[in-house]
Amino acid sequence: MTDQTKSTTIPIHLTINGHNHELEVEPRVTLLDALRDRLDLTGTKKGCDQGQCGACTVHVDGQRVLSCLTLAAQVEGREITTIEGLAGEDGTLNAVQAAFLEQDAFQCGYCTPGQIMSAVACIREGHAGSDDEIREYMAGNLCRCGAYPHIVAAVRQAALEVAS
Amino acid sequence: MTIHDPRTRHGDASDGAMDQVGGRLSRVDGPAKMTGAAKYAVEQQLDGLTYGVLVESTIASGKVRSIDISAAEAAPGVLKVLTPDTIMSLRTASDWFGTPPPDKPYCPLARDITFSGQHVAAIIAETFEQAVAAAAMVKVSYDETPAITDLSDGKAGDGIPIDAMTKEWGDAQGAFAAAPVRICGAYNTPREYQAPMEPHGLIARWEGDKLTVWEPSQWLDGMARTYAEWFGVPFENVRLVSPYIGGGFGSKALALGHGAVAAAAAKMLGRPVRVVMTRPQTFTGYGGRAATRQTVTIGADTNGIIQSIVHRGVNETSIDGMWVEPLGVVTSIMYATPNFSSKQNVVRVNSVVPGAMRAPGENPSAFGIESAIDELSYEVGIDPLEIRLRNYAEQDPEAKKAWSTRQLREAFAAGAERFGWARRTPEPRSMRDGNQLIGWGVAAGTYPVRRAYGEAVVRILADGSVEVESSSIDMGQGTYTILAQTAAETVGVPADDVVVKLGDSRFPRAGVAGGSRLAGVMTGAVYKAATSALDQLIGLAISDPRSPFHTLQANTLVVANGRIGSPRGDGPDLSIAELLASVGRDHIEATGDTMPANSTAEDRYKNYTTIATSVPHTEGDYSRHSWCAHFIEVRVDEDFGTVRVSRVVSALDSGRLYNPKLAESQWKGGIIMGIGQALLEEGIVDRRHGRIVNNNLGDYLVPTNADIPDIDVISVGIPDLHSSVLGGKGVGELAIVGVAPAIANAVFHATGKRIRDLPITLEKLI
Amino acid sequence: MRDFSYVRADTLDAARQASALPGAMLLAGGTTLVDLAKCGVAEPDSLVDITHLKGLDAIKVDGNGAMIGALAKMSHVADHADIKSRFPAVSEALWQAASAQLRNMATIGGNLMQRTRCPYFRDPANFPACNKRSPGSGCSAIGGVTRGHAVLGTSDACIATYPGDLATALVAFDAVVHLGERQIAVDDFFLMPGATPDREHAIEPGEMITAISIPASASARRSTYLKIRDRQSYEFAAASAAVGIDFEDDGRTIRDLRVALGGVATKPWRAHAVEAALKGKVLDEDSVRAASLLAVEGAVDHGANHYKIELAPRVVARAILKTGAMA
Repeated sequence: MTDQTKSTTIPIHLTINGHNHELEVEPRVTLLDALRDRLDLTGTKKGCDQGQCGACTVHVDGQRVLSCLTLAAQVEGREITTIEGLAGEDGTLNAVQAAFLEQDAFQCGYCTPGQIMSAVACIREGHAGSDDEIREYMAGNLCRCGAYPHIVAAVRQAALEVAS
Repeated sequence: MTIHDPRTRHGDASDGAMDQVGGRLSRVDGPAKMTGAAKYAVEQQLDGLTYGVLVESTIASGKVRSIDISAAEAAPGVLKVLTPDTIMSLRTASDWFGTPPPDKPYCPLARDITFSGQHVAAIIAETFEQAVAAAAMVKVSYDETPAITDLSDGKAGDGIPIDAMTKEWGDAQGAFAAAPVRICGAYNTPREYQAPMEPHGLIARWEGDKLTVWEPSQWLDGMARTYAEWFGVPFENVRLVSPYIGGGFGSKALALGHGAVAAAAAKMLGRPVRVVMTRPQTFTGYGGRAATRQTVTIGADTNGIIQSIVHRGVNETSIDGMWVEPLGVVTSIMYATPNFSSKQNVVRVNSVVPGAMRAPGENPSAFGIESAIDELSYEVGIDPLEIRLRNYAEQDPEAKKAWSTRQLREAFAAGAERFGWARRTPEPRSMRDGNQLIGWGVAAGTYPVRRAYGEAVVRILADGSVEVESSSIDMGQGTYTILAQTAAETVGVPADDVVVKLGDSRFPRAGVAGGSRLAGVMTGAVYKAATSALDQLIGLAISDPRSPFHTLQANTLVVANGRIGSPRGDGPDLSIAELLASVGRDHIEATGDTMPANSTAEDRYKNYTTIATSVPHTEGDYSRHSWCAHFIEVRVDEDFGTVRVSRVVSALDSGRLYNPKLAESQWKGGIIMGIGQALLEEGIVDRRHGRIVNNNLGDYLVPTNADIPDIDVISVGIPDLHSSVLGGKGVGELAIVGVAPAIANAVFHATGKRIRDLPITLEKLI
Repeated sequence: MRDFSYVRADTLDAARQASALPGAMLLAGGTTLVDLAKCGVAEPDSLVDITHLKGLDAIKVDGNGAMIGALAKMSHVADHADIKSRFPAVSEALWQAASAQLRNMATIGGNLMQRTRCPYFRDPANFPACNKRSPGSGCSAIGGVTRGHAVLGTSDACIATYPGDLATALVAFDAVVHLGERQIAVDDFFLMPGATPDREHAIEPGEMITAISIPASASARRSTYLKIRDRQSYEFAAASAAVGIDFEDDGRTIRDLRVALGGVATKPWRAHAVEAALKGKVLDEDSVRAASLLAVEGAVDHGANHYKIELAPRVVARAILKTGAMA
């Protein structure tokens, strides 16, 4: 029988962008809500909260995943990287971020952190070999402003820079 | 908020030209958006923040009989359960024209249900998860009555005639009857949704009788007015903060019911409250584009010259709200016709009141007329581009005024050339590649130049940098960037030395960011403020006895790249900072606005908090519009009926572009939303329940990256000083207009099937 | 989401025991379960997290076939070189499913447990009647918006479409689900709705998918997955087909043919009639198109989904022709 007056929380230890965080949360708290509501890491965006838009994309152990369908408790012991962890300590943008800025691959900016996290992984996976491949492997990140052609250009540019 | 980070400067030119108006400067808000540092409205971390979740009606028509909140109230973390009976009483606010409201209470939680998804209760809890869980425990029972589900419902009737939409000249019916060529088509568009990636939501916090609202907003001053009126507090007591907006497309211009609930809850609790709509709630919590029906009949001679257009339109609205989607607005101006008639009705259905979505009116209107003229082209055997040129309107056929500028002929020419239109074979089904039928279509689009008012402060600071402040906003159009360019060019400093602050209603005011009016308004206001600040600076340099220029006895001085000197290059050469230090000033400040000189304080309030004073696009001697022509190639799989857009060339006339890089992005974005409209987007109503069933981004399909080819846009605009201070016309709304008919026309060319109901899904083609 | 407790399983036995308790559910990638918990469809009392179990994510391919651990991620299977070369339809079904992010989360075992996208099933607050969710409550979909619903294998109780891609390929190539020691053919693992649409899989409480095996075959090596949908990507199938062909030594006469359909039926749908009609025949377009019509024998539409009866045979025919033309 669960206590009806107080939710049951559990301690969770998360490693995010190389930093350790101790949290006391209910098991139902998603990684996305832990980042945004508990850790002030609001760069990761909530667009749909049901796995249909890609705005909440983060890396877990280097793989791009959706933080809205990931429970925070599940990723204890994993390396989590968010958009805040991508640029250098001195603020230097990484190749994908710089390419997005140069190619104007964003407008409102709300899907952008998810696009960038997805793009970094897309290049690392080897799925940026052609424009059509980039389009397919970036299709899980919706952009309602319609920056798609510029996103393709930015991923293409960053992939070349990463390769060289 | 502040945008200023010289380490991350990016752009396309190194000679400083990109810093100026018309330069391809990269977005100055880009680095913050690249790194996650940009804090959107509901991302503020506030002490004592609580979380609200809305409970919505599950019937479309009837009354709330009772609400059982016992389980929810007892649930962990719940602080408050609001129902129509327990929420504090608010006052009805005026509409966006500022019409004085009826003196009656407003309750944002409904007892009388007029659509499925209406807010009926709300939970406020210590955490988001607790609020969500408790909201599911609220049990609402209803007395249900039959609903009118949509325009096809037998109970819907013919609707209410909207006389203001009637446009008539000549004898349209008579000329149609006498015309040797007559065509008639019925064109339908479904409910469509703005679906910005950032869902609607806000944080409301009261301090005494002062309210602060962090909310994504296309119109801070208009929304502040509504909150002030709801709560009966002075306008000055409400502060709206909206530094970044995650897309709006028309949907974030007005304060809505969920905002009233959050602000009321915050007042009742004495703690800040955050309410964010779930994605499914964004399909019912506010209105998308209304479903529309049009008939377009055209009478022409055998050379395709139009003699008459008769147009009838209908759009849906809600049971107790009024939304008119003006369906005759492109029909009446795109082509020269001696005889014309357009009328429109509005039909009430059990839906949330529809709202503005990218080019409301122009968009569906163009689907009708631009499909119809394509049909006429096949009827008379004339190329679809040629027939448009034969019927080119040399002046505004409705207003009978000269166009301020109309580069549409140039758009047709440039687009056709780039696309290779001359190689098109005229017969439908005459181009193919294996299983794929290929079709080429063309259509034009237009959007009026709406003009309103804005004001800005420009400060030249002691370190020589320049600061711009305005309560206008940037939801991706590039306001931060073009205002930095405007101030940089006008004062004579690098754009990196300009800090633009937007999105706070404490700043100098601005009207709505809607109808593609903001850029023209705000560049004008900043230009005037910056000019005034520059005049002060030069005046000081010349006249202040402490200034090194004092003895030069110059008539004027020039400021360039942050340095001040004489036009001839003789005499002293100082940085702005050195000059200000020499005269003992820590800053220079000037305000500029785009208002008539004799405006009163009351005029200003009205100008910024309502749209009642917008200047008509046909004011004076000219008719002002943006124009575009889209050339689109589709590939239709003959077996499957799937349509893919494989090539787009669009030529657009938005006048002078303040920043071509950003304008091109907005154009492409409009075209992409048009591709979604043409092929994918449709709110589907379960007619037994009067409810949208595809209320999420997995079922209401918007285009993905894989649906979009490379898009070629060409600017054919020239500066139009009748339209704005610096010569620009509208950008953001224009490009979606005409995309859907261009695709439908291409599909006809590919398949020989004319699809008049959007979207063009595969079952309509197999 | 209702509150629930969270248990991280360290061993397979611990996972089985914990998941056998009333109200307990296994949590793998979470792409179905967390989503359905948010919808209010899944209301677990406890979640047993199996993503930290070791050794269940291996992919082994040899001359006998493929053995894929239940916790292998969809993306890893899709990109596996031997899966691509020996079971191309399996790889194609996987990479055309969902999105790259979801494929990095979802496991192969979890993918088989994926549930329908029927909008009525997914919205209990607005549509209380759903036999799949609440046995005996009725079906909200029948008479409603049915554009995405099934035309094959439906019953008076349920017309919900099985949404997955992978299982469509698996059923074509006689894959086997391993529930520890117990093994069951994929075709038998998925149940027809009949009068009990709440029961979708032949799996008992306390059982857990541990692996999937696919026997090697010449038809699997020459295979294709063709998926047709409104949107180019990130969408479930309007209709899809997994096809494999083995030719006689003349290179034209069909020795073995495998055909399965997705997006049109209540479970992954093997089209035996199409296979039988073409086996022993020389592959040519007319006979393929005629035989493909057998794929929808007995199909029943519910209005807006009628197009699927037209579409599915065309998808099958194209997939057979495409596979036949493979080098």
